[in-house]
Amino acid sequence: MTAGPGNGNGGGGGIWGTCLTGVGVLAFAFLPSILFSLSRNSAPYWLDVLNTVGLYTILALSLNVILGHAGMFHMGHAAFFAIGAYATAILNTSFGWSIMATMPVAALAAGLVAAVVAWPIIHLRGDYLLIVTIGIVEIVRIAITNDIFGLTGGSNGMYGISRPSFFGFTLIKPEHFFYFIWLTVGLTVLLFHWLENSRFGRALKFIKEDTVAAESMGVNTTRYKLMAFVIGAAWAGLAGTIFASRMKTISPESFTFSESVLLFTIVILGGKGSQRGVLLGSFLVMGLPEFFRGFQDKRILVFGAALVVMMIFRPQGLLPSKPSRYRLPGTLSERYGGQEAGDKPPPLPGGDGPGPVA
Amino acid sequence: MRILSLNNVTKTFGGLVAVAGVSCGVDRGAVVGLIGPNGAGKTTVFNMITGSTRPDDGHIFFAGHSIRGLRPHRIVALGIARTFQTIRLFPGLSVLENVLSGCHCRMRSGLVSSLLRLPGQRREERLVIERAMAELEFVGLAGLWRSTAGSLAYGDQRRLEIARALATEPRLLILDEPAGGMNEQETQELAALVGSIRDRDVTIMLIEHDMGFVMPVCDQLLVMENGILIAQGTPQEIQNNPKVVEAYLGLDEDA
Repeated sequence: MTAGPGNGNGGGGGIWGTCLTGVGVLAFAFLPSILFSLSRNSAPYWLDVLNTVGLYTILALSLNVILGHAGMFHMGHAAFFAIGAYATAILNTSFGWSIMATMPVAALAAGLVAAVVAWPIIHLRGDYLLIVTIGIVEIVRIAITNDIFGLTGGSNGMYGISRPSFFGFTLIKPEHFFYFIWLTVGLTVLLFHWLENSRFGRALKFIKEDTVAAESMGVNTTRYKLMAFVIGAAWAGLAGTIFASRMKTISPESFTFSESVLLFTIVILGGKGSQRGVLLGSFLVMGLPEFFRGFQDKRILVFGAALVVMMIFRPQGLLPSKPSRYRLPGTLSERYGGQEAGDKPPPLPGGDGPGPVA
Repeated sequence: MRILSLNNVTKTFGGLVAVAGVSCGVDRGAVVGLIGPNGAGKTTVFNMITGSTRPDDGHIFFAGHSIRGLRPHRIVALGIARTFQTIRLFPGLSVLENVLSGCHCRMRSGLVSSLLRLPGQRREERLVIERAMAELEFVGLAGLWRSTAGSLAYGDQRRLEIARALATEPRLLILDEPAGGMNEQETQELAALVGSIRDRDVTIMLIEHDMGFVMPVCDQLLVMENGILIAQGTPQEIQNNPKVVEAYLGLDEDA
């Protein structure tokens, strides 16, 4: 039925991978109940940790489109996160918009700013682009610290942001946010998985592999890079809405350069372009340190050392991206094999094909 | 009918005049060979036709459009596809995906339909995979569709590059040293392939040093030396042209 590449399952091999993923997702859905039955006192704390992990997963997945798929070194992602959060805070506190109504505007605002700032720099290569994006995150942070247009409340930040509500039900407790955030993670994974395995995603892949060849094959490389940048930024803006309504208070120090570095680290550590990798990366970078609170600041040192070791021995990331899987439709599949069957060379058609490669 | 014409096309790199006022035309349906010693400016001419190098002066017309200064992806969309002198596949991607890169410019699905996997997008994906497989069958690589492009044998990589270029549905195909590095048998197969591409009503321009390949395959030859077009004509005319013999054929090129 579906001729498209790799349907649905992000896990390993075939049907078992799908089952395993299903069981995992189901277990995750019951996690709040499990945590509460284990310990009523510490459950809210751990749920808060999981919510932070979830939020950073959304952010890192959006950065993954830019950094992982399109291969653009972008270290200023917190800027777009900030624009989304502030758009929500301003519309909610000053204009009385409901949180969910501000979400599309937050995404749009972040996307728009991204389009404007990326336009002149999108052609820059690797390291040059990196420096400019660091500039962007600093400019945004300084602008909101200086109470730009009298809207952002300066270094005190903004407070009194409402909670999101759906059909009269308001999200207040950590377990409410748990479902809100992780359902958004699920939606993000699904949409970006589809995006990755489409004409759009392939175009980004070609650009990442060889920009000159991609352009010569008819891919408008500038346009696709810009679109990847804008979609990633818009999604970070959307995450900003969730962040603002969860914290109720936001201030410039939540959107510093080091936040951008953290997101960058999650994507590189997990595996550029790999959603599973980004998910794992978020847990390791945002979740794991919580287990070692007893060690105080030493945990950061250990974490830093672990990163160095990782980059030496596994530079492609913990769970690197796998090649896309394609299914041949109908008769073609009978002739050349429809399913991807491991690394074995495909059966050759009688006689006319070239010999297998040694 | 002329499908491509170059009018006084010039390109200098710093102080070096790579191409000096080249004017020529290519007839639709022809196989045209561009020959000349190394450094004669042949690849620069190809780069200017395909848009990767911008001419300093002159005009290039393709099928009624002025294409001078257009970006490569626009020129591909108009119907000129190319292969590279040094193979430039996407080595980490599968054979099928490489060909799909050529299909890109004939597809419509945009950001929204991809993000939401709309029915039209899925239908297009299915069609385009069939289309890509048809090109792979055409060059004889269909059985290797899921191999990694970088793992293919050299001759197969060359053919994959041609399949990828054909997937853009070109009216003019530009091959930069397609037989480079091929053995005798592979070169023979390539000559046959060029013939069947021409049968699909695709005009072909190629650079090649292997005269055993060029002479029987091409209808028309253009000869360049030091950035200047020194002769043009049928292979027989060129073989008997004293200027060419002196500049090129009589000269042991690597000696």
